[in-house]
Amino acid sequence: MSATALLHVQDIGIAFGGLKAVQHFSLRLPAGGLYGLIGPNGAGKTTVFNLLTGVYNPDSGSMRLAATDLMGRKPHEITASGIARTFQNIRLFPNLTVLDNVRLAGQLRSRVGLFGTLARTAEYQHQEDDLTRKALDLLSIFEMQDRADELADSLSYGHQRRLEILRALATDPRVLLLDEPAAGLNPQEKLALAKSIRAIRDRFQVAVLLIEHDMGLVMDICERITVLDHGVTICEGPPKHVQNDPKVIAAYLGGGG
Amino acid sequence: MSVSHPMPAASPIAATPFRPTGPLMGVLPLAIGIVVAVLLHVILPGFVGPYYSRIVIDIGIAIILAVSLNIVNGMTGQFSIGHAGFMTVGGYTAGLITYYGSYFIWGTLGKHGVFLGTGEWLFAASCIVGGLVAAGAGYIVGLPSLRLRGDYLAIVTLGFGEILRVVLQQTGKVLDDGAAIRAAGWSQWLPPPVGGAIGFDGIPKYTNLFWVYTFVTITVVVAYRLKHSSLGRAMISVREDEIAAQAMGVNIARQKVLAFVMAAFFAGVAGGLFAHERGVIISPKDAGFQRSFDYVIMTVLGGRGSISGVTLAAIILTALPELLRDFEQYRLIVFALLLIVMMIVRPQGLFGIHEIWHFWRRRSR
Ligand SMILES: Nc1ncnc2c1ncn2[C@@H]1O[C@H](COP(=O)(O)OP(=O)(O)OP(=O)(O)O)[C@@H](O)[C@H]1O
Ligand SMILES: [Mg+2]
Repeated sequence: MSATALLHVQDIGIAFGGLKAVQHFSLRLPAGGLYGLIGPNGAGKTTVFNLLTGVYNPDSGSMRLAATDLMGRKPHEITASGIARTFQNIRLFPNLTVLDNVRLAGQLRSRVGLFGTLARTAEYQHQEDDLTRKALDLLSIFEMQDRADELADSLSYGHQRRLEILRALATDPRVLLLDEPAAGLNPQEKLALAKSIRAIRDRFQVAVLLIEHDMGLVMDICERITVLDHGVTICEGPPKHVQNDPKVIAAYLGGGG
Repeated sequence: MSVSHPMPAASPIAATPFRPTGPLMGVLPLAIGIVVAVLLHVILPGFVGPYYSRIVIDIGIAIILAVSLNIVNGMTGQFSIGHAGFMTVGGYTAGLITYYGSYFIWGTLGKHGVFLGTGEWLFAASCIVGGLVAAGAGYIVGLPSLRLRGDYLAIVTLGFGEILRVVLQQTGKVLDDGAAIRAAGWSQWLPPPVGGAIGFDGIPKYTNLFWVYTFVTITVVVAYRLKHSSLGRAMISVREDEIAAQAMGVNIARQKVLAFVMAAFFAGVAGGLFAHERGVIISPKDAGFQRSFDYVIMTVLGGRGSISGVTLAAIILTALPELLRDFEQYRLIVFALLLIVMMIVRPQGLFGIHEIWHFWRRRSR
């Protein structure tokens, strides 16, 4: 299993000044896997995402997506190679429309350069139409097609979270990193989210790594879970195993999280 | 409110406004603009006389500068206050080409040919070369934008204009007859003899309504097409949220520098038009802060990324001072006050990110 991992991370770490935010983090995420990353507040979960997506460069270790080495890559290169993410604090493009938030992904694989764009060549036109169609398809899958022309800023909180996920999917990722997608949702919304995360994995054939504080949700849908505390991996395994690990219980009780 | 269970769906293609199709639509806006430019050129002077015609030329040049600056300040959300520097680079380059070029080609220093004659084509080409040289400068000045942001970048762009002003002051006097040009050795051509502090006098005055509004058309069409394209969305995403833009695969370094290069190109073209305008002697002080400030105000007033808003602001802020007598003395005070009031009352500009026509559509995009 681990030999064929799609996302292969070994011993990455980073320190901010004296603070070792993440140490010796390893992960083998297979294609189509649905894994969880949990831990108390400040454990280093978001920092792991920032390392995986090139926001920060790991001080040590190695990371690969299939055959692509990710070490030292810029965030946009990592996105291009097939890792997409959402943010803990929603980061949409507030003054762009819902449609444009999604269509933006098209520039990633654009075959038309500056001059084709400015001359509005047939190829450019064709590509733009394609992008629009794809974006609208994606929006309709998530039942947001009738909001295509609204500014992202004007959406409700739940819709903003949803748009962030589908915007990430628009980049055609092989790995999707979700940073607390259930934060701020009510219980019914969380339930629906759990269902749709699984469905997204199946439909878009992506591997998902999920950061989530809602234990019920994580235990319910994740195949394996990594637990971080103070930047250190204290436990890794299937939900049953993690649930009963005394170190995990201690971290959650003692960590004040 | 729930995130729905994904399901297969048909693809409803919403009617997106303004979607030209077919090869004709690619050139139609340009053709219309050029026809308008010809009409302006032929008709306007007869109606309003040379004084007002010149104001209309000034307005056109201001539109090019404001709309192009808006690519940097409005679309990518950087803050350049050195736009006049790029304009001046273009102006001096173009002037150098037509002034000395005329001598080498035709053996004279004056204007050559009639409307749309060879002289004017040399002039148009010189404006484009001026734009290209300015674009090169834009690339160099844009590079720091990758590391600096906000105020620091503003200071770099400001410094660029001021340094250019000082450098231009050190140039030698213009070689004003054939004998002097023939006698000049290499040392006199480097740096080019463009008049030092008193300015580059003698540039043939080719600029007319036709060329100005032809370039206005090109600038506006390019800006509009850029804004409504994948490339433009990538630029705007940089303004909206750099981190999210990167996560969506946008190479923000490339977008920022590209914005600088494009904006500088059009500023350089505008500089060429300015340098060849009747009654103008382009001089080092044109590179300075004061002129850059004018264009910044136009973009702030018009709205971040609103092409029509910025165009309107360029028209108003160019026409008003000409129409109000004695305005020149108060110009800086009034413009500065205007800027402060705008920042407080309507920081997004008159039209924000929208185009003017969105306001009389039922609902804005
Ligand atoms: N850029 C940074 N500079 C300095 N310290 C940082 C930086 N980013 C994160 N940290 C620190 O690293 C630690 C881990 O932060 P991180 O955001 O990864 O936690 P988290 O597990 O996502 O927590 P939460 O559940 O609250 O989101 C924290 O102590 C945080 O303050
Ligand atoms: Mg976090």
